[in-house]
Amino acid sequence: MKRSLHPLTMWIWALLLITAVVLTDRAWVALGAIGVATVLVKVRSDGSPWGRSYWIALRIGAVILVIRAVVGVLIGVPIPGTTLFTFPIIDLPSWMPGIRLGGAVTLERLSSSLHEGLIIATVIALFGAATSLTSPHKVLRTLPFFIYEIGITLVIATSLFPQLAQSARRIRLAQQLRGHEKVSWRGLALPLLEESLSRSLQLAASMDSRGFGVSRKRSRYRPEKWQISDSAVVAFTLLVSSALVLA
Amino acid sequence: MIKFSNVSLIYPHSTKTIIEDLTFSIQEGEMVLVMGETGSGKSSLLRLINGLVPHHTGGILAGDISVDGISTREVKPGSLAHIVGIVGQNPLNGFVADIVEEELAFGMEALNFPHDVMRKRVEEVLDLLGLNAVRHRSIATLSGGEQQRVAIGAALVMHPKVLVLDEPTSALDPIAAEEVLSLLHRLVHDLSVTVVIAEHRLERVIQFVDRIIYIEGNGETAIGPAEEVLRTAQLVPPIIRLARALNLSEVGTSVREVRRLTDDIRAQTFETTEKIAVSSDVVIEVDELTISYGNHRALKGISTKIGAGEIVAVMGRNGAGKSSLLQAIVGSQLATKGSVWVHQKDPALLKGAERRRSIGYVPQEPSDLLYAQSVRAECAQADRDNEIAEGSTFAFLSRLVPHISEETHPNDLSEGQRLALVLSIVLSGNPELLVLDEPTRGLDYQAKNLFALALKEYASTFNRPVLLATHDVELVAELAHRVLFLAEGDIVADGSTLDVLLSSPAFAPQVAKVMSPKPWLTVSDVVQALEQQP
Repeated sequence: MKRSLHPLTMWIWALLLITAVVLTDRAWVALGAIGVATVLVKVRSDGSPWGRSYWIALRIGAVILVIRAVVGVLIGVPIPGTTLFTFPIIDLPSWMPGIRLGGAVTLERLSSSLHEGLIIATVIALFGAATSLTSPHKVLRTLPFFIYEIGITLVIATSLFPQLAQSARRIRLAQQLRGHEKVSWRGLALPLLEESLSRSLQLAASMDSRGFGVSRKRSRYRPEKWQISDSAVVAFTLLVSSALVLA
Repeated sequence: MIKFSNVSLIYPHSTKTIIEDLTFSIQEGEMVLVMGETGSGKSSLLRLINGLVPHHTGGILAGDISVDGISTREVKPGSLAHIVGIVGQNPLNGFVADIVEEELAFGMEALNFPHDVMRKRVEEVLDLLGLNAVRHRSIATLSGGEQQRVAIGAALVMHPKVLVLDEPTSALDPIAAEEVLSLLHRLVHDLSVTVVIAEHRLERVIQFVDRIIYIEGNGETAIGPAEEVLRTAQLVPPIIRLARALNLSEVGTSVREVRRLTDDIRAQTFETTEKIAVSSDVVIEVDELTISYGNHRALKGISTKIGAGEIVAVMGRNGAGKSSLLQAIVGSQLATKGSVWVHQKDPALLKGAERRRSIGYVPQEPSDLLYAQSVRAECAQADRDNEIAEGSTFAFLSRLVPHISEETHPNDLSEGQRLALVLSIVLSGNPELLVLDEPTRGLDYQAKNLFALALKEYASTFNRPVLLATHDVELVAELAHRVLFLAEGDIVADGSTLDVLLSSPAFAPQVAKVMSPKPWLTVSDVVQALEQQP
């Protein structure tokens, strides 16, 4: 078994890197952070259902990058510079001053849109990496009791998502095999809703019958201890991030 | 230990009383089976024991239930957590933590047990249930039998006096089911735990239970020792049907007892009946099929041919590759190596109407296919899809299950009715091949019989193949001509049902165990052989 860090360590790591990426606002820092995160997830992921969330976050980030670039190129304030190509300008009503649809696309405009997209994508990817490296369930376990109650509700809500995705895939497949290629949203949503509702009810019943919420105090089976390795990781990240920001 | 006095239960907005004036008591260290048709209220009865009904579900309860002297009326289910442990139908939906150890500790954490007690009890339970090897594993990666044991363990750490289980073996293969049941047997005998269990596959549990509560569906409830209730019950396992068919003086619940009663029959010699020849028209051709998921090889280069009119059962332990094989044949899983041909066509390329005409597929969750608001709408959709006369699908459905109302919402149907609806929809396309993935989970014997008849009729009238994956050996004995037995991605046995089932002690049906070494699998086999005897 890999030596486990304190559940909060990787979250602090991610938050520090995010701060550095946002504050420096440089593409190479963002790309570097994604690189480091990818390596860490590859090496340290424990194959739990949460382990895949980094790759999902990367995909979401890529989609946002593309959307940001397209929107940035089509709409908004023109930035002067080298013109790459020109879209026809669509006239907007006079009560929308300062906004333009279409027009000349300059290299500067394209690169600034891409840059903004990249920063947003990196932030999402880093959150994904933190989730991949420590299951959010473990993080919630370390929180103080009064948050724990809310936390457990969150855990249930979040644990439904991977299951939902899985069920959706299964139902879509079943309907395709019935010969319905284009699955309507109703065809998917109704069985899905039914299933997730009954699952949540079963989970609630199970927690209820196992004494959840009976005692005002809870004990912990495996207390999490903050160790030197945790301090080392946090200190190192803090050092690197502040060096990047100040440089 | 458990005392029901004049208990009646009715759910709001419902006209049917679930339980009516039920009085019984269960002693410490008893193992009691709750049986009844699907939807008869077995689960409600189980959940009454720790107060989940009506505290959690609503409903109007009359009478009183007390467990270990505490009335469930006055306390919430959580306050009974240290007395009653409850394991739901699908354990995976009840797990709270990711890791086995943490799941086991959850209940104790909630009740603020001291740390050293928790450590000790978790160790105890890990040893008792043989879960030590998987203690650090993520629950999602465990096999079905292991998950069921974790769920039982999570209840046992609280040292409950009563353990309540709702169909604990319905998703398990015969070997895993055996493990779970012998574990329960040990708990009853060694630790005097009171066990209340609901189960459809009576053949699996019947030998272990002391008493039976039989909910008869018409509001009547019979309670008594297993032999007594089973003598007159409608839902009975094959072993009892055998005793009835042979007019034995008494019914036995274990193979050993009935074997002793039927010595004289086995002593006779019978002419062996010749086997039915299977047609040589190949419909499905599987050639060197390999399917891999990442590093895991689910199927390792298997080859087989399935002919017209054959009913083939695909059996094997959980994770043996049954579903992968089925998915490759219906075309939803691409082969990593090798090929699958259905009528010389690649099933992965089928679409729309052509797919409906070629392959009928009933998924593991039949309700995946349903989305309309009523049975009528579902049937009408099927009629339109397949361009057949309006009402044909419903006509077929009413032949399978009479008295089904057209206005019912598919969710309100019983499991058996829902399966019948999906089967009617799939068969309305008149497919050249029928594939079913574990179709009989949660079906009682009557529903299963209907289902088996429908499949047999389809296979014989149209001379088309049926392929089904299942853990249900009794169904296979009743229905299948041929069994493909998979283990770790290889075909380890492929032959007539008789040969395959008889050669494996774990997978042999009850009648075969009783009548061994005679080559009979079902009650009708025995009766037929006896009738042909001069």
